[in-house]
Amino acid sequence: MMNFKVEKRVETSRFLYIFYIGALILGMLAASLFFSVRGINPLFALSKIFMGAFGSALGIRETIAKSIPLMLCATGLIIAFRGKFWNIGAEGQLLIGAMFATWIGLRFGASHGPLFVIPLMFLSGFAGGALWGIIPAVLKVKFGVNEVIATIMLNYIASNLIQYLVYGPWKGKTHYGFPYTDDFAPSARLPLIPGTRIHYYTLIIAILLAIATYFFINRVKYGYEIKVTGENPEAARYSGMNFLKITIITLILSGGFAGIAGVGEVAGIHFHLTYPDQISAGYGFTAIIIAWLSRLNPLLAIFVSFFFGGILVGGDVIQTSFGLPAATINIFNSLILIFVLMGTFFMEYRVSFAKE
Amino acid sequence: MKKGKKVLSVLLAIFFALTFLLTSCTTPTTPTPQTEVQEKRIKAGFIYVGPIGDYGYSNAHDVGRRYVEEKFPWLDTVYIESVPEGDVERYIDRLINDEKCDIVFTTSFGFMDGTAKAAKKYPDKVFEHCSGYVRDTNLGTYFAELYQMYYLNGLMAGALTKSNKIGYVAAFPTPEVVRHINAYALGVKETNPDAKVYVRWLYAWYDPAKAKEAAESLITEGVDALAFTEDSTAVIDSGEEHTKQGKQIYVFSHYSPMQKFGPDTVVSGQLVDWGIMYEEILRRLYTNTWDNRDYWWLAKEGACDLGGEFGVPINPKFESELKSKKVKDPIFGEISVYDLVMKRLAQMKEPTVLFDPFTGPIKDQSGSVRIKAGERASHDLLWSVDWFVDNVVGEVPKSQ
Repeated sequence: MMNFKVEKRVETSRFLYIFYIGALILGMLAASLFFSVRGINPLFALSKIFMGAFGSALGIRETIAKSIPLMLCATGLIIAFRGKFWNIGAEGQLLIGAMFATWIGLRFGASHGPLFVIPLMFLSGFAGGALWGIIPAVLKVKFGVNEVIATIMLNYIASNLIQYLVYGPWKGKTHYGFPYTDDFAPSARLPLIPGTRIHYYTLIIAILLAIATYFFINRVKYGYEIKVTGENPEAARYSGMNFLKITIITLILSGGFAGIAGVGEVAGIHFHLTYPDQISAGYGFTAIIIAWLSRLNPLLAIFVSFFFGGILVGGDVIQTSFGLPAATINIFNSLILIFVLMGTFFMEYRVSFAKE
Repeated sequence: MKKGKKVLSVLLAIFFALTFLLTSCTTPTTPTPQTEVQEKRIKAGFIYVGPIGDYGYSNAHDVGRRYVEEKFPWLDTVYIESVPEGDVERYIDRLINDEKCDIVFTTSFGFMDGTAKAAKKYPDKVFEHCSGYVRDTNLGTYFAELYQMYYLNGLMAGALTKSNKIGYVAAFPTPEVVRHINAYALGVKETNPDAKVYVRWLYAWYDPAKAKEAAESLITEGVDALAFTEDSTAVIDSGEEHTKQGKQIYVFSHYSPMQKFGPDTVVSGQLVDWGIMYEEILRRLYTNTWDNRDYWWLAKEGACDLGGEFGVPINPKFESELKSKKVKDPIFGEISVYDLVMKRLAQMKEPTVLFDPFTGPIKDQSGSVRIKAGERASHDLLWSVDWFVDNVVGEVPKSQ
């Protein structure tokens, strides 16, 4: 009788990256199969997607704009995942960040200059996201509540809270009763690169934070402690690390970064708060994929975010050029993710057939 | 660090290789022949907020798109579904630059700012924004309004109910939905002054599970007639189920022809016809008579109609019941509800609109008069209404 035997590889040899590349190619092939079934030349389809995202100034501009929230959420998630804290709540943390920044923007935007308002919006957005991150951290360490459940549920709470605000107390006077807050005054809006929707303040912050996170994880004591508590809680306990403190620091950063992404979306794209699925097109969830595809390396996450921003933007052409349903791009994304995750698995584990 | 760098370089290499490979194999585009006496052609792009498979709002627009595409040999169309509101500019860019559209229809209120910006950016293209109020030299607005049909549904609901409890499963507290609830309640009041309309908010345009839950909870509380704003047949499914089990529930279908999903429960409903609006706008563009007017089309223009099925204003199953129920009308005298509905429909279809449901005196829930006796509600009042008429139970979430 044949049995599978799965062992963890002792060391990952450099040739094993072939799995990663092979996985990407297999993912593309699987997607191609899908296009072929719909009677579309897959090479043509893939080239259209890539051209749509990276092949024109228009595409690149949009791809960069899309990659900003992805990058911030992914960087935050990497910190949490390094500490083996499964934060599925970046979406909610982003929304609360957007909500805090909106309050600042509406309260001070008209009366104060941008030098005061913009930094305050970023800080409050960070604080909002961090607050939404601390809740599951405390729940986990103090009460043993599973963080996956807690963070998922907090997404819903955040989403409903915002819905309540834009349909109720925060509903703007200038939008004919539609669910939007009033628009931000100019000093509460992020400057854009002219002719684009790239709010470059947020982009710069995102890249700097990704680089800083890389050094934080690898060089700073707290970063080291986050890794240790994640990988070997027993050892961490014996060496006297403070679980609660470390988990809270992890989630302040993780949630805070997502919160900053929320600031960018309301202050750089929408200029008002509106219902949640418009503020975030699932960035907090897509960022989970990005974090894993970057192998929890924040520097890689910069590029993977750009790549995924491109897939989101290039996905338009699937509809405009081929008339395929909007869901097609999700299939495309998922196929690539599934294959890359399988590739990652084979990189870390050896599977052999054993005879009993 | 080393490991990271390696992965990075490998990934980058793949990325650039792929970009190069894929961009270099784009099929050559055939140049369009530049004959001098070519017939004028128009390409229209449609941007939808939801999926066209939703059997509701976006689907209804797409039915209109297919209607004009079939109608006009000189017309090509392209559509994009499920577009997030904040991203509409990008999709417009694509429709104009890649697809070479001459006119772009954006079909959701949230697309307004993006469409206005695009209109400035492409002054030689034409834009039409559905349900908004911002216009420009090359940007018009259009909307098909259903409140008259909700009022007619209300007349029937008031006549048919046994419990005097009428339900409304509502999507979001936007002025449009509030207006529809009010019109429905005004109809109910006319045929049954004792009945009340109970409202449940879903906070979703499309959520069959929540809609069904809301319908069930209303039925449990004794409601036996239901109208709704939600882009699925969930409320009808609920009504059909109870009716089959012996408890007659009266449901009014919403937006698309849904009677076939509940032949025993659907009495009537509201039907929209975007096709004729698109026909009008595109014909004007084709004949160089387009202008940036605000289309607000009702029954008179044919943008909306009564029924759960086109051509069937009232399900024959309920005809006799509605014919046997009589009410007193100051003009028609004693009249059956069936005839009243038909007369009102005919009045509202008259070019001069002989009747409008929002004719005063109309009081809100607190009892204060919102529309004075003999007055008709203005477009602006209807457009931004955020209060309920006095026989509605429930509240509109208020801003402070």
